[in-house]
Parts: sequence; C-alpha cells; structure tokens
Amino acid sequence: MPDNALYYRLAYAATLLLYLGYALSLYLRGRALSRREQRQRDGRT
Amino acid sequence: MTDVSLTAPASRRLDPVALVAVVAVALAYGRAIWFTPPEATQGFAQKILYVHAPAAWVAFLAFGVTALSGAFWLFLKDQRLDRLAESSAEVGVIFTTAVLVTGPLWGKPVWGTWWTWDARLTLTLFLWFIYVGYLVLRGVIPGREQRARYAAVVGILGALLIPFIHLSVYLFRTLHPLPVVARPEGPSMPPVMVKTFFLAFFAFTLLYVAFVRVRIALAVQRDALDDATVGG
Repeated sequence: MPDNALYYRLAYAATLLLYLGYALSLYLRGRALSRREQRQRDGRT
Repeated sequence: MTDVSLTAPASRRLDPVALVAVVAVALAYGRAIWFTPPEATQGFAQKILYVHAPAAWVAFLAFGVTALSGAFWLFLKDQRLDRLAESSAEVGVIFTTAVLVTGPLWGKPVWGTWWTWDARLTLTLFLWFIYVGYLVLRGVIPGREQRARYAAVVGILGALLIPFIHLSVYLFRTLHPLPVVARPEGPSMPPVMVKTFFLAFFAFTLLYVAFVRVRIALAVQRDALDDATVGG
C-alpha cells in the first residue's frame, strides 16, 4: 500500500479550516450587523 | 418612523440545525479517519473521497437552489427567494473551493499530478469562477430589484454547467474516475466505506442547510437595517 497519508491529512485539515473559517465569517458579519443595529437605535433615541 | 428593532441578532442565535450539523460532521470526520480502512491500491489518499465527493454534491445542490430560487424570483419578485439564492450561492462557493482544494491533494498521489486541464476539473473551476462572479455582481449593484434580476439570470446560466460537469466523465476522455457509489450495478466499495460515504453526504448536506439558514438570517437583518436607513 502506498505511503500517502500526508495528502489525506492535508485535505481533511484544509476542509476543516475552510468550513470553520466560513463559520467564523458568518459570526463576525452577524456581530457587525448587531453593532450597526445598535448604532442606528442609539442614533434615534 | 421605521422601526430598526429586529428579532434576536443572527450572531447570538444558536441554531439547532447548526448544532446537529456540527455533531454529524464531527462523526463523519471521526469515522472516516479512525473507523474506515484505507483502500488497498490508493492507500490513505482514497479517504479524501469522504470530503471531496460530498462537497461536490453540496456545491451542485447549492447552485441548483440558487438557480431555482432565481427563476422563481423572476416570476414572484419575493425578496425571500433572492435571499435564499444569494445565501446558497455563497455557501456553494465555499463547498466548490473545498472540491478544488481536495481534488489536487487526491490527484497528486494517485494520478501523479496536482492538476490537469481535463473536462471535469476545468468545468468545475469555471463553475467556481461563475459563482464568484455572481457574488461580485451582487456586491456592485446597489438597487435591490435590479441586483436580484441580474443575479437570477447569472445564477440560472451558471447552473447549466452542472449537468455537463456530472456527465463529463462519460462524454470526454478524462483522468477523473467514474462514480464509485451512484452506479446502476451498485457501489464498487465495501459496505464499511459506503456507510462512511453516506454519513459524510448526510453530514455535509446538513452543514449546507445550517450555513444557509444562518446566512439568510444575516441577509434579513442587513435588509431590515438598510430599509431603516433609507426609510428613516
């Protein structure tokens, strides 16, 4: 059997990083929107 | 006065679908890594199948949803359809990126090359470019209705590539292998691998649904704030 485990470990790490990175981007965008909402609300009171 | 008060901010919601998706993805990775044997000829590199093929399926599903939502938006002009199309396209680009990253990592040890310009690989790269373009297009058109209309057309046209990509392994001479599970004569893998394969399919499909739900929630919040800015 060929010794190529490095490639599959890299592939799994890359996909995990990609999905975690996207999840983080969603979280950060949500936080930015919440701040914007807060600013808009403060501007009106 | 327009009310800017919204429902719970998307960033603070804990979506139950997301929770189940995270557990399912963790189970899929765990089963693929520790409980699924490597294939005799390809070795451990064959395990890339469990993250590569489901990502490709989800990418097709995501762009299919984008195209359908866009098509329905053209008739119904319902903002929810445009948000679904936008969210699905973005998630589809993430999964297509996963396909384009894991493919070369599988190709190098098995084919001896990171990349070859054959039909399956090249068309998948084109698909990625089209939907990255779709997202860029959405970002540069300020008018909501005009943006939705142009995006719907691009979303529909882009999805026309999907059947060609799927059939490319039959239509063209290509290094990419034929399907090993979705075959009329049944899967050509042992049951332990097939189970891992279907678990990964289920897990990544659930992850797609979770991502899209959160992304739609963000789009709803953004649109409400935009309306409040314009209306106020």
